[in-house]
Amino acid sequence: MPLLEVDGITAGYGDSEILHNVSMRVEPGEIVSIIGPNGAGKSTLMKAVFGLLHPKSGTIRFDGHDISRLEPYQIVERGMCYVPQVANVFTELTVEENLEMGAFLLREGTLDERKGRIYDLFPRLKERRRQRAGKMSGGERQMVAMGAALMLDPKLVLMDEPSAGLSPVMVEMIFERIEEINRNDGPAMLIVEQNARLSLKMSDRGYVLAAGENRFEGTGPGLLNDPEVGRLYLGG
Amino acid sequence: MTNENATIAAGPDAGPPAQERVSKEGAVGNNRRPLYLAILAVFVLFWVLGLWAGKSTTTLLNLTVEGIMLGGILALGSMGLTLVYGVLKFANFAHGDLMTIGAFVAFALMQVLPGSEAIASFSFGWGLLVAMVLAAPVVAAVALAVDFLLFRPLRRRGASVVLFTMASLAAMFFLRSVIYLIWGADYHFFYPGRANPAMHLPFGITLQADKIFIFVLALVVVGAVWILLERTRMGKAMRATANNPDLAQVRGINTERVIQWTWIIGGSMAAAGGVMYGLASQLRPEMGFVLLLPLFAGTILGGIGSPLGALVGALIIGIAFQLSSGFIDPTYGPGVAFLLMILVLIIRPQGMFTMGGD
Repeated sequence: MPLLEVDGITAGYGDSEILHNVSMRVEPGEIVSIIGPNGAGKSTLMKAVFGLLHPKSGTIRFDGHDISRLEPYQIVERGMCYVPQVANVFTELTVEENLEMGAFLLREGTLDERKGRIYDLFPRLKERRRQRAGKMSGGERQMVAMGAALMLDPKLVLMDEPSAGLSPVMVEMIFERIEEINRNDGPAMLIVEQNARLSLKMSDRGYVLAAGENRFEGTGPGLLNDPEVGRLYLGG
Repeated sequence: MTNENATIAAGPDAGPPAQERVSKEGAVGNNRRPLYLAILAVFVLFWVLGLWAGKSTTTLLNLTVEGIMLGGILALGSMGLTLVYGVLKFANFAHGDLMTIGAFVAFALMQVLPGSEAIASFSFGWGLLVAMVLAAPVVAAVALAVDFLLFRPLRRRGASVVLFTMASLAAMFFLRSVIYLIWGADYHFFYPGRANPAMHLPFGITLQADKIFIFVLALVVVGAVWILLERTRMGKAMRATANNPDLAQVRGINTERVIQWTWIIGGSMAAAGGVMYGLASQLRPEMGFVLLLPLFAGTILGGIGSPLGALVGALIIGIAFQLSSGFIDPTYGPGVAFLLMILVLIIRPQGMFTMGGD
């Protein structure tokens, strides 16, 4: 059974319709990319999955349960975390406090252990754990945002354009980390990316979205090598 | 040869003058020093004006000390105001009336509670303290009810900030009318007719023991709230929600719960502030409304959203208020507070302790 199943959703803001009858799925432990031109509705799809907006029709199932009407905090409770593209850290809180907020819903006492794991993954964050997140560079903020999303050991992590605004060195580091997190029984990941090549290279599967509709679907390498996809969306 | 610091000659499209450009990154920190100096200058000015009006330094010293005490009361209200603004993002005009309700509920409770004999050199008895502690949850409940009936429906509809502010004005009138209905329009005193002699302290300061208690209580409450915000999970969640409400939801924080706690804390502090204000002066239905301007002045001066700012701002406004009565009619006190707030906003628009906007 797929971990995440989006079935024919139509969604938008207010009266507008951005997504038309879009379907996709993520199997447990997979890395799935969503690529496509600007304005294709990739971010909207992510927001609909996470409950930041609700689909007008169609269903979204997570772990077998219908989550189409749930609020984000209820979805987090079920094991899905989200790394937004912008404003993804609490700028007034320290790195450590940001991680603690990631684990806000934690009931048992493993907070320190979890923080330790994030620090192992991102040693730079350990050095700067008492620094205000607002004072950090784009790449460091991205690390904080990812770390916070991982605190609850989610089954699925949504990432909205992780490479946005980062230097090439940082982008490489972030994608290496994504792979590392996913390896060995790590969480499944759904990544919306502008940098289609980089994302597809490490994805198990991918979807191409354009004008709010499904265009192509396939394996990561499959889409990467598809000449039509390449011509239209991978910049040649 | 051009002078980099000449702003007038720079022309309309030259952009910010060189000085500003150089310190852009450090602008947040740099701008505070002129602010501190300006406020210090204002106080010095007030002293000079007071002396010129014929007041002795002892009198002025006493006024300053009274101002600090008043600042303590204002701080209790300002902190609640700033917390509500930070988390809920609007200025709550009904906050003053929450203080009034606190005072009147305590007053009602005291009629049936024992312990009216004065403790030590204070003018109040244990009855007042117990009544204050009991009034806090009542005011918190009123605040929660107003939120549930008025602000929450607006939140669900995604209403604009202006609408929330207007609604809080409506709540203000409503709450005050309720007070008029129950207690009438008369003045009341917690301890009518009781003498309240002042203690004689060094440097010629004469101060009622009550006022020292009020100030210490304000510090303790403010300290407790600070610990709550910095060290507890809910406190951090409140700061996080104030910083970025959307991200707070994304992280799984139940923002409605955070909002409820904000009202509980703000309302409880308002109750304490109201009781203390009633003790220091008298109880009347307009007391909260009268405090609104100094409360807002202090909160905005200190930087709206910053609890430390609320405390410091309240102290500054309290001192300015009292000290200015050394050379002008005390009725102009609120005007002085208002002018001081404007001065601060001119020098540093974000107030004293907020960051320069990320």
